[in-house]
Amino acid sequence: MAGGTAEPAEPPESAGMTGTEEVSRLRGTLFEAVTLGATVFGLLMVGVLLLYVVNDAVRPLSADPGWHLVFFLTLVVPSLSVAAYCYTREGPAGEVAYATFGLPVVGLLVGAGIVVVFLEVVSVADWFGLALALVAAAGAIELHRRLRPYAALERLAVLIVAPLVAIFGVPALSVDRTLATPLTGTELFTLSFSTPKLLPGVPELFTSLPVLPLDWLLLVVSLTLPVAFAFGRIVSRRREDDRGRLETVAAAGAVALVGALVAPTVGIDAAHWVVLATTTLLPLGVYLEGVVRERAGLAGLWFPVVVVAGTLVGALVVETVGFAGPDPWLDWGFLTSATSRSPADAGIYPALVGSILMLVVIVVSAFPVGVGAAIYLEEYAPNSGPLGTFVTLVEINIGNLAGVPSVVYGLLGLAIFVRTFDLGNGTVIVGGFTVGLLILPIVIISAQEAIRAVPDSLRQASYGMGATQWQTIRNVVLPRALPGTLTGTILALGRAIGETAPLLMIGAAASVRTPPNGFFSRFSAMPRQIYSWSSEIQPEFRYGVLAAGVVTLLVVLLMMNGTAILIRNKYQRES
Amino acid sequence: MSSDGAGQGAVTGMADRSEPESRTDDDPERSGATDGAETVIESRDLDVFYGDEQALRGIDLTIPEHRVTALIGPSGCGKSTFLRSINRMNDLIDVARVEGDLLFRGKNVYDEDVDPVALRRKIGMVFQKPNPFPKSIRDNVAYGLEVQGKTDDIDERIHTALERAALIDEVEDRLDESGLDLSGGQQQRLCIARAIATDPEVLLMDEPASALDPVATSKVEDLVEELAQEYTVVIVTHNMQQAARISDKTAVFLTGGELVEAGDTNEIFENPEHDRVEDYITGKFG
Repeated sequence: MAGGTAEPAEPPESAGMTGTEEVSRLRGTLFEAVTLGATVFGLLMVGVLLLYVVNDAVRPLSADPGWHLVFFLTLVVPSLSVAAYCYTREGPAGEVAYATFGLPVVGLLVGAGIVVVFLEVVSVADWFGLALALVAAAGAIELHRRLRPYAALERLAVLIVAPLVAIFGVPALSVDRTLATPLTGTELFTLSFSTPKLLPGVPELFTSLPVLPLDWLLLVVSLTLPVAFAFGRIVSRRREDDRGRLETVAAAGAVALVGALVAPTVGIDAAHWVVLATTTLLPLGVYLEGVVRERAGLAGLWFPVVVVAGTLVGALVVETVGFAGPDPWLDWGFLTSATSRSPADAGIYPALVGSILMLVVIVVSAFPVGVGAAIYLEEYAPNSGPLGTFVTLVEINIGNLAGVPSVVYGLLGLAIFVRTFDLGNGTVIVGGFTVGLLILPIVIISAQEAIRAVPDSLRQASYGMGATQWQTIRNVVLPRALPGTLTGTILALGRAIGETAPLLMIGAAASVRTPPNGFFSRFSAMPRQIYSWSSEIQPEFRYGVLAAGVVTLLVVLLMMNGTAILIRNKYQRES
Repeated sequence: MSSDGAGQGAVTGMADRSEPESRTDDDPERSGATDGAETVIESRDLDVFYGDEQALRGIDLTIPEHRVTALIGPSGCGKSTFLRSINRMNDLIDVARVEGDLLFRGKNVYDEDVDPVALRRKIGMVFQKPNPFPKSIRDNVAYGLEVQGKTDDIDERIHTALERAALIDEVEDRLDESGLDLSGGQQQRLCIARAIATDPEVLLMDEPASALDPVATSKVEDLVEELAQEYTVVIVTHNMQQAARISDKTAVFLTGGELVEAGDTNEIFENPEHDRVEDYITGKFG
């Protein structure tokens, strides 16, 4: 008992302690115990459930005991002891161990996501054309800024038009529409005209070239080098010289090139190598450079080495002795294949791609709208007067909207996006818009919180300098509110990726065999796929495949929430 | 009201004052100003309300050009409100309402056709708590220049502003470091540099030294006296010694948002007309 250990120190005071004081103290202890119990109970429940699900998904007991023993000895014991050593002996070593192990894992996952996008959604040439178009648009905007620095309205037009023209060109336009009165159906007039195509967009120009460079070469130019340039800035700042950036870019380019030439000989696609090297080796290299140069926490570098070596040694021993490994539902095949009639072949790949594409739509639609609404409500909307009352009403109801059941949003999506705008039954874009509406209130509220947290003294300073309201919002409020907004949005996206009911309402496919190849194709998302597995007749689906799907979904969710926490921590350290 | 004719009174005692006398010598514009510097800001029967509460009652005050005018008084007497109504910072408070006239170079700043943004570009402001932006020192000073579109020779302007704010020696090699890494006194001088980088005509200072230690305070005070050579400075302060040291003209606000007495600083401190002012200055209340 905590009270028992504290007793010896108390006699001088407790000599005068009355009965009521003792009762009050007892009450406090009881209350503490009850709250602790509630916390532990909740965590325990979730923990037990997760344990069950993971057990079903991985089936660790299907392996030989010897297999477990081998890996326990070669992998678990050494890596745990190295980790314990790093965390207890040296301060920075623990962080180094954590980062050198975590960075490649996260990098590989991000890289795999990019590879999937290139495999299923856009070709590398299209992507390169798009990148070229954006660079051209940025160039045009910058040129305009140089030539006419004070034409603010004109620049707004250039800001909007330049990217559009660069990407789409001036396409052919043909309108044929009859306008009728809504009730009687009398025809008012018919609008019908068409203009010829004037200018092709940059991506189209690029892809129509007679000879296109190899995919991996395009990726080196459009992905590796820009990312290396950005990371080089960190290196330069850390070393306080200008050579760091050049060296980083050169090293990254060299690794990507050499690897791309070697990779095909061991069976890896050169383009995939370039992507994975950019997301994995580049951040790791930059991080290692800092660790080695500052010589802080070098012991932590042993951790990834021990993990990799332990895995290899364990695999070798298991192979030679002949222990059988576990037969998990959640394996490489599950992640890369489509669902199937037989549980053993079933996979989640199309639904995973569908979920990611849907997330893209959600981010692109809900984030700007939500942040825009938050800016209006916090910065422009009046606080008093009749309009102020109205605004207060709106704010209260945004809170209410956050609590509206998701089925209702599904119905709304069905009515608006499927029926009215005719965007197609169960397409990626309808799913994204619907779930985007669902999380919009959360995005607005978190952005409002972040904007409200910007100190008023900074706004006053800006206004005092003769800045307009727009200048103040753009230069002072938004940069300061961005990390908080991002954190809130990512957490909201975590909710979005698990939503099932709206997908049922808008008619997302129960299961699809091929991943969606664009935003207007039909799709299935992970929770929808899990839901249809839950009603399969074969028990293997309900106990094995479903658990593997749930674990996949949870891992994606954890990664997103982890990113949110990283952003928040970085922000808290800076301010 | 007691402040009538204060504009003249502001300078009659100039010659007696010991520290700032050099100013009158090297400024040709002011050589003939013994009978009164030109009035830059004039308030006539100015009332300010926050909702139903009246914060200022019928303020009549003139502020002379190229002088330091101090507004003193106990907490909650409305001196900051008066300062903030000069550059219309009170507009940012929804419930604030202004009645009466406040003339800047003869033009009522509360007229319909006055753009508060343009007004604030002519009247700079330094706040009570140092509030540099979470940006680099350079970007802090550049901010006003950028929002006002004065981006030619920007490096030179930044350098000059830091020089005039007596900060350049301390930050010359670390212009790219965050403004928040500076000490409190340096931050406040950075805020002053930021305010004068755009060359305003008037500089409003709302207790600029109240959050600083004595050494930093004296640096800021020296700076204020320097700045009065080129700018009209209006400074709110709690500290009566500070007002006596650096100001040419003093206006005393007492509880209830009334201006009790205004005039030449020496006059106010040595021979105030009102007993209440004397009580306040000698520390009997407030």
